[in-house]
Formats: sequence, structure tokens, C-alpha cells
Amino acid sequence: MSGGATMKTSIVIAALAALTALWTPAAETTGPVLIRGARIVPVEGPVLESGDLLIENGKITAVGPSVKAPEGARVIEASGLTAYPGFIDAYTQYGLVEIGAIAATVDSSEMGKENPEVRAAWAINPHSVHFRTGRICGTTAALVAPAGGTFPGISALVKMEGWSFPEMAVKEEATSLINFPMSPRPPTAEQVGPKPTTEIDVTSKLVEKIKEYLSEARHYLALKKEAASNPAVKAPDHNPKYEALAPVFEGTLPVILSVEKAKDIELALKFIKEEKIKAVFRGCAQGYKVADKIKAAGIPVIVGDLYRDPSEPEDGYDAPFRNVAELSKAGVTLCFSSGTNPSTGKDLPYHAARAVAFGMSHEDAVKALTINPARVFGIDDRLGTLAPGKDADLFLTTGDPLDLRSEVKHMFISGREIDLGNWWKDLYDKWKSRPLK
Amino acid sequence: MKQPERLLILAAVLVLARPYPGAAEGKDLHLKNGNIITVTGETVKGGDLVIRGGKITGIGKNIQTPAGAAVVDLAGRWAMPGIIDSHSHIAIEGSVNEMGDLMTPEVDIRDVINPEDIYIVYALAGGVTTIHTMHGSGNPIGGRGIVLKLRWGKSAEEMIFRGAPLTIKWALGENPKRSNALGMGPSRYPRTRMGVEAAIRLEFEKTKDYLNTWAQHENRLKALKKGEPPPLPPRKDLRLEVLADILKGKYWVRCHAYQSEEMLSIMRLCDEYGLKLACFEHGLEGYRITNELVRYGVAVSSFADFWAYKWEAYNTMPHSAALMAQRGVLTALNSDDAERMRRLFHEAAKTVRFGGLSEAEALKTITINPAIILGIADRTGSLEVGKDADIAVFNRHPFDPYTVCEMTLVDGEIFFDRAGYLEARKKAEEEKKKPEEEAGKEKRS
Repeated sequence: MSGGATMKTSIVIAALAALTALWTPAAETTGPVLIRGARIVPVEGPVLESGDLLIENGKITAVGPSVKAPEGARVIEASGLTAYPGFIDAYTQYGLVEIGAIAATVDSSEMGKENPEVRAAWAINPHSVHFRTGRICGTTAALVAPAGGTFPGISALVKMEGWSFPEMAVKEEATSLINFPMSPRPPTAEQVGPKPTTEIDVTSKLVEKIKEYLSEARHYLALKKEAASNPAVKAPDHNPKYEALAPVFEGTLPVILSVEKAKDIELALKFIKEEKIKAVFRGCAQGYKVADKIKAAGIPVIVGDLYRDPSEPEDGYDAPFRNVAELSKAGVTLCFSSGTNPSTGKDLPYHAARAVAFGMSHEDAVKALTINPARVFGIDDRLGTLAPGKDADLFLTTGDPLDLRSEVKHMFISGREIDLGNWWKDLYDKWKSRPLK
Repeated sequence: MKQPERLLILAAVLVLARPYPGAAEGKDLHLKNGNIITVTGETVKGGDLVIRGGKITGIGKNIQTPAGAAVVDLAGRWAMPGIIDSHSHIAIEGSVNEMGDLMTPEVDIRDVINPEDIYIVYALAGGVTTIHTMHGSGNPIGGRGIVLKLRWGKSAEEMIFRGAPLTIKWALGENPKRSNALGMGPSRYPRTRMGVEAAIRLEFEKTKDYLNTWAQHENRLKALKKGEPPPLPPRKDLRLEVLADILKGKYWVRCHAYQSEEMLSIMRLCDEYGLKLACFEHGLEGYRITNELVRYGVAVSSFADFWAYKWEAYNTMPHSAALMAQRGVLTALNSDDAERMRRLFHEAAKTVRFGGLSEAEALKTITINPAIILGIADRTGSLEVGKDADIAVFNRHPFDPYTVCEMTLVDGEIFFDRAGYLEARKKAEEEKKKPEEEAGKEKRS
């Protein structure tokens, strides 16, 4: 890189550092807060057309038609607003990507194919502007996943607020990840150029490679275990990559398998069964073609963002939306995600709205933004619904949170009211006041 | 999937080319009982639209069905003007950037229109009827664009929007200076915003010289004495010919730019050379210089909220389009992307949430405003008697989160019909099942 480019990059980084230092996380401690007269959608249990919700010590302590405010409680008159549990974005790169085109600000993909040991927890920048802009439509927690290669690493589940990563983390190690191979598009009748004479199943061959790698890891772990109790066996050299897969084999760390095509989903289902791992699918663009099989295997699906084209033109123009609606109707547990671009993370509920437009029920869509991801990531004791005992991660909005015209007016994370200010608001406040000439 | 099955599914996509029953080309139509969003006038609730010879001939309530017209019951659906995307790159055969040289005004999208691009179908299914498709932003002067009507199934020639002003694509900033392509291919001049502007100026100075040379030649011809042999003409340069036409105002300049200061600078350049600068593309920092944009009279075709993918797209906000529109800038939303193209109606809705644009003004950003920017507002961009019957029908208001585009008409002809699509898809899927079932029977027997 030339000196000029380095300097430019430094200036950009300095500018980013300046930007990200502008806002202060919410106050550490706060007294009780009573939200009064809101429409309350607890997600599980009936909707309260007008109800109260009490927040104490970071937790929800009461929800009901009428809750008495403890002494000294701050009361938010919320009539006309609707309370929802904070949305959980089930697959993102918040804090790993600032500006896609500037390599210095990108920490999402490590080199090489096999990096099961790298952890998002080691790199997440809690002060990324995207945490602030990303939460304005209701997102209060997100899975942050590394990408790239076959084994991208280990994701973290974070709240969208905090002074440091450990403060934000709900789970420092949430899932392992595998990018499943994707079958190439078969040649079409119209396609120009030579066509393969024999059908080689490239995907199955690549799956075999993944299985081999896992088998080596299992062998390493078995040898290590054996060596611990048998002095005649030499322990293998420490291999952090294989070590990182141990909780996957033990079934304590689920694996997100990214897979798109129907044929590959079937291969993945076989793979999961053979490897005996706890898996979650991500993507599943052609899931609707094998929805019954996904349902029978009990694999939840994190659907990708719905600002997308059909996987193949033959699927029809509406395949991305129809897919989610049909998976939902088949009873598959679904989670929404905004995908690999944190700058458009705020669109999370808009993706859900596209699925509802094409046949998913509103109720199921809201579950796929709240309790479903909470269950899939094993944090439903803390997040996902509005109920006493849960973390007070919630928001109050002017209308249907899936509506592009609704506006979140208040947001709480861990019981603290969040400043909804962000980079956009700063710019807007400044530039709307430039005198007209 | 085996080949015959694939073709059957493909049939479901291709069937979109088939006109709606009773709405064959040129047939008159009476769209009844819908909510008619005219954009330039009042919305008519429970209203009708009459289309004759591809034009809108009636808008109102309880209109009598003209003799011979087919009736389509909108049953409370919402009809709006067909969406116009004034910055698209679909329906182009091959690459959009001629990277073989720095200044390439001689290349023309008209020569590479691909009428079979599947994205035409996707765009129609998102209510889009007219697009301006053009070169990429790799070169300071990239080439000539073309306005198309999405007449899927017709030839390239038949898609061209006749009478639309000619356009030329320019680009400033990170793309022409290749700052995000370091190490990708050979380096080239320019590397800075200064260099980009210098390169454009140099090109127009060359053009002025070229025009002078020709003027001198013409003068010499005029002064030719009887019997004197005529001088050889100067060499014809096709690149400089286009640049000369830009200088003469024959082309509307569409300038890709992000940063406010580079926009101000290029406005000065265009003033100096007397060029017709019609619109800044993207203009994500346009909200900073609304006074200057209004004074100059240049439009901005922008994104609702796409940002932070590169440094020059960082200093912006989703309120930008609304703020520009409220402060008097002619503002449109564009897709620049085949996927975003099919949800421009929701991109427009975002300007209501961010920046508080009224719904009426927000609708203009994807209809009449891009029509004005393209110089085709006398033909399309609103529902008015006398205009082309370019119409998008939605089951709910286009800004409703759960809305679905159900029908799209271009010049009164139905090019997308969701009901027909669903029917064809069902049939194709049943067809596909048949051989499987028969094979199953054989196995059992």
C-alpha cells in the first residue's frame, strides 16, 4: 500500500474513532420504572390491550392490567404505544464490519478454510456505529458470527448496548459454524459452451472432506483423553482447532450450518444425523421444497435477509418470501436475521414483514424475532418474552413494529433506558438546521 | 432436477409474458372499483381507470365501461403509476463498465440491451414499468444510457422508450479513482478527486479544439474559390463527436457522486462548459448542499438508506432523501441494484419514517420525480388522462408493510399478473408430479 493510501486509511480510522466516541451507554444503575397503559405484546400469553409493566434491577418484575408503582419509581405514560420484547437478530456481523470497502475496518472472515477456534468475542467492537443505528427498529440483541471458509469460527450473542464486550455478552460462545458446500447450478438447455458429460457430485465430495476433518478432530480428542489416563500413550500436540470442536461433539455447542439449495439441505440433514451434532440451519433459500424433512428432523432455521432474489429463476420471483411462509406453515422453528451487512441491520423487522405479506402469520413472525431465537440459542430464561423474571430488554413503539412507518420511542436493555441517538440523528439534527437560502 | 422438469418450472416464469385473458395488446380496459393513487392529483377511493389504445382516457368514480373494453375488478386494490427506476443496470448484455479506457462516451447501452434478462420479470413483479439503464461508475465518462419500458417478451428495439432525452453517465469519487480496487488489475490515472476532474476538463478542452478544427474546415470550404480543390476534412473521432454533442446540450448528464464538495465542484465545471447537468446519482451527501442544488437546478437520484459500504457512503443518513425533498431538491429514489428494484415502493415508505416526508411526497420519489429527471413526465409518472397507461396494482397501499404487487401494466397491456402466475405455477408443479407418480406406480406393480 502506498504512503498516501496508508495515511488516508489512518485518517478514516481516526474519523471513525471520533464518531464512535460520541455517545454514552445508559447509566449503570437506575431505580424502578413502571410502563403504564401500554398495549403489551408478551409474545407468549395473551396481549394486554392496556397494561402495566414494572422494571426493577434490570429485570421485568411484573406484567398485568394494573401494576402498582413502587415508591420512587419513574412512570412512563405509554398509552398509544405498544411494548414488545426486544428483537433478537439471529445472524449478523455487528462489531466485525464497519465499512465494507475498507479492509482495516473489517474483521469478519479469517484466511483459510478451517478456523473453528477463532471467536467473534475476540474482535467485536462494542463502539461500532452500527449497534446504535441497528437497534432503532427494535433489535436489542444479536448473534455476531464470523464468516468465511468452511469452519468460520465461534459466534457470540450480544446485547446491543454496553461499555465493553464482556458487558454486552449474553453468551461469549453461542454457536460453532459450518459453511456447507453449495451445489452448482446444473447446465441449462440454453447454456453456451461445453456441458459436462458425466455428472460428478461435487457437493458430496466436499461433504466427505468436512466429515474427514471432523473425524480427525474426534481422533485427536480421543487420543488426548486416552493419554491422560494411560502413560503409555503419547498425547498429541495441542491443536486449538480440534479443541474448539470438542463442545460440538459433546453437544453443548450448537452448530449453525449455512445451506441454501434443497439438495444440499437433504445432504446436510444426513450429515447432521451421522455426525450426531446439535445443528441449526441458516439460509435455506429452497427450504420450502423439503420443509417436511426439516420439520421431521427438528432443525430450526435462521432465514437470511429477505431483500434477496430467488436462489434459481425456476423457483419463481417470490420464492424468498414464499419459502419462509411455507416453512412456517410446515411448523419449522424460524428465526429472522439481517445478515452480513450491519449497516442495514435495522431492517430486521422489515424482512419479517415480507414473509407476512406472502403468508406467514404475524404472530409467528414476531416469535421468529423473539422467543424462537432465544430458545435456539438457549437464552430463553433471560430473553424473548415479556414475563416476570426475564431481562428487561424491550421497546415501546408507535405501531406495528413490522411497519416501516412505525417508530420506536423508548428502548430498555438490561432494565436501563437506552439513548436512541445515533450517527444518523446527529447528522439530521445538524443539517436540518442549515439556513435556507 | 432433470431437464424436462426444469423446463416445466421455467414455464411458470415465462408464462408472465402471456397477456391477461381479455387484455390482448391494444385491447381497451376498464379497471373498476379500486383506490387510484394519481400522485399528481387527489387519490380516488373507490374509483375507476379507463384505458384506450394504451393511454389513460378516464379516471373517476362510476365510469361507464366503454364498448368493447375488458373489465378488471380491482376489488379495493390500490392502483398507482408504474414505478420508475431512473438508475438501473439490468437488461444489459455483459459488463456495465468499459474499463479498456478512461473516457468512453462512445459506448452505448442501446447496443447491448438484453430483453430476456429475468430481472425484467422481477422488476415488473415489484410494480416497475420504466427504467433508465446505464453504464457503471468505473469511468469519469462511462457511456450513453437508455430509457426502457419493461415490455417483457418484446424485442430490444420495442422496449426503447421513444422520445426520451439522451443521457450520458459520468462518475466521480472512489469508483473512477479505483480506491477500492487497489491491487486489482493495473493502476491507472486518476487516483484522486483532483485527477478525476482534471481528466474531465482535459477531455472537453480536446473537444473544443476538435470543434474548432471542424469549424475552420467548414470556413475553408465556404471560402473555396472556383476550381480550387477542397481541403481534406479533419479526422472524424467518434468519442469526440459524442463529447461535442454533450457540449451542445444534446445529452443530459447523469453524474454519479457521493460527496458534497465534489458535487459543488462539478456543478462549477458544468456551468463553465455550459453542459446540461440533469441529476446526481446517489448523492448521499446531497442533504448538505440543498441550497446549492436548488440554485443550480440539478436533481438527486438517491438511496433510501443504503450506506456505509465505503467511505464516501458513510457521511449520510436515511433522512437524507426526505430532507433534500423538503428543502426543494427534485429527489428520486433509485435501485442501482436488480434486487432493490423490486421493492422501491418500500424504499419510498422509509422516507416517511426517516425525515418525515408526507406519503404524497414520498410516492413522488419513485414516480413523477424520476419521470421529470428523465424528461418523460409528459408521458408517464402519474395517473392522468392522456398519459401512458403504466400502472402498478397492489393488494394494499404500496407503503403498507404487507403489501404485494398483483398486477403491472405497461401502455395498457398487462405484463405481470400474480393470479395468473400462481395458476401457472400450480399447473407446472402438478405436471412435474405426474411422471413421478407414474414412475411410483410402475415400481409398485
